[in-house]
Amino acid sequence: MIQERVDVGQVVLHHTADAYALDFEPLFTISWHRWPDIHFGTLTLNLTPTKHVVFMVLAATLVFFTMWLTGKQLERQRASENAPKGFANAMEAFVLFVRDDIAIANIGHEEGEKYAPFVMALFFFILYSNVLGLLPWGSAATGNLAVTGALAILSFVAIEVGGLMKLGVGGYMRTIFPKIPGISGAGAVAMSLAMAPIEVLGKLVKPFALAVRLFGNMTAGHFVILSLFGIIFLFGHLQVWNWAIGIVTAGLVVGIMLLELFVALLQAYVFALLTATFIGMMQHEH
Amino acid sequence: MTLALLALQESHDAGESFGTPFTVNFGLFFWTWVVFIALFFVLKKFAWPAIVQATEEREHRIKRQLEDAEKMNTEAKDALEEHKKLLAGAKAEARALVTEAKTIAQKEREQLLAKAREEQQQVLERAKREIHAERDAAVADLRREAVDLSLAAASKLVEENLDDKANRKLVTEYLSSLERNG
Repeated sequence: MIQERVDVGQVVLHHTADAYALDFEPLFTISWHRWPDIHFGTLTLNLTPTKHVVFMVLAATLVFFTMWLTGKQLERQRASENAPKGFANAMEAFVLFVRDDIAIANIGHEEGEKYAPFVMALFFFILYSNVLGLLPWGSAATGNLAVTGALAILSFVAIEVGGLMKLGVGGYMRTIFPKIPGISGAGAVAMSLAMAPIEVLGKLVKPFALAVRLFGNMTAGHFVILSLFGIIFLFGHLQVWNWAIGIVTAGLVVGIMLLELFVALLQAYVFALLTATFIGMMQHEH
Repeated sequence: MTLALLALQESHDAGESFGTPFTVNFGLFFWTWVVFIALFFVLKKFAWPAIVQATEEREHRIKRQLEDAEKMNTEAKDALEEHKKLLAGAKAEARALVTEAKTIAQKEREQLLAKAREEQQQVLERAKREIHAERDAAVADLRREAVDLSLAAASKLVEENLDDKANRKLVTEYLSSLERNG
């Protein structure tokens, strides 16, 4: 029996990992070779586009075309003074929800309008990437720690640089060396210095948590689905029960898939919401 | 499915792969930033305005209207305050006018009263004076009459040269004749 040679763990890890190839098995596979490494001092970089880069570009392109077409349709509807309807109207409501209830509600009205495009781009880019991972032959770029890390660093920059610009250098330093109420003199200075490492750690933990949360959620979902498929191969040799196992497993996978669809939306929401909240906290720090 | 998995395993060996999702490929940071930042600017320029514009315009219009309403409210309040002040001023002025008029009327009345009293006094005094003069004249007249009568009686007495009894009778008769004459 060939099934016994299948190492489920290996398949799961391989399938969720990045690659220099696009899998369209059993039809075909497009694979390419790595470019040579680039060295920056001790840092070694390899800029070869991977499967996840392809899916990121795909996600970004899809986001752009969705939004662009939505905008075109809305402009046409407004020009002809027709009542808004259909797909464009649904997307408008979705975009406005992200803008008003995620970005502006958490950042504040004045700064919210400035940061809304960033939060909106984050939300839809992550959402599309997440959903692409659920499609057949698809892959979630957000299931890659480097991708989520890079997005989290962008959030970090938006939070901290935005805060620095809003609060000024003095005000920003106050977020690292906090003013402790009720203490004055040397005690206040000592406490401020003692709090500084914790404050800095707090700043770094936020994007780290964002990156790991998104990566973990997307990867874990795929692990569960692939592991459930693995059950078929582990128990497929049972001659009498294999049909039942196949049906039960497929049912479970459908259930998990629906859950994953929800998680894809939820994680995009959480990432955008937390980024907006952190920006808002920083903007209104006193 | 089996075929697919086999193919997967083979491709795993053939293509260069990362093996697990836990390997961090730092090159991907670069690609993520390129893709995301490009998406951010392209969306910001070509997609969001068309979608968000109508809402933004509506928001700004409502905000402007609210500000206008606020301004108008303040203006109306100011106007009301001014009106109240003017009204209070007018009332005070009216009250002052009334008070002034009352004072003037009072003064005038007192003056008139004083004048009337004075005139009355004058009239009274004149009357008294006239009464005195009349009385004095009457008394003088009476006196003169009495003297004349006495003189007449005396002359009669002297003329008749009568005795005491006769004198008395004579005087009495004379007097009664006077009474009769009136």
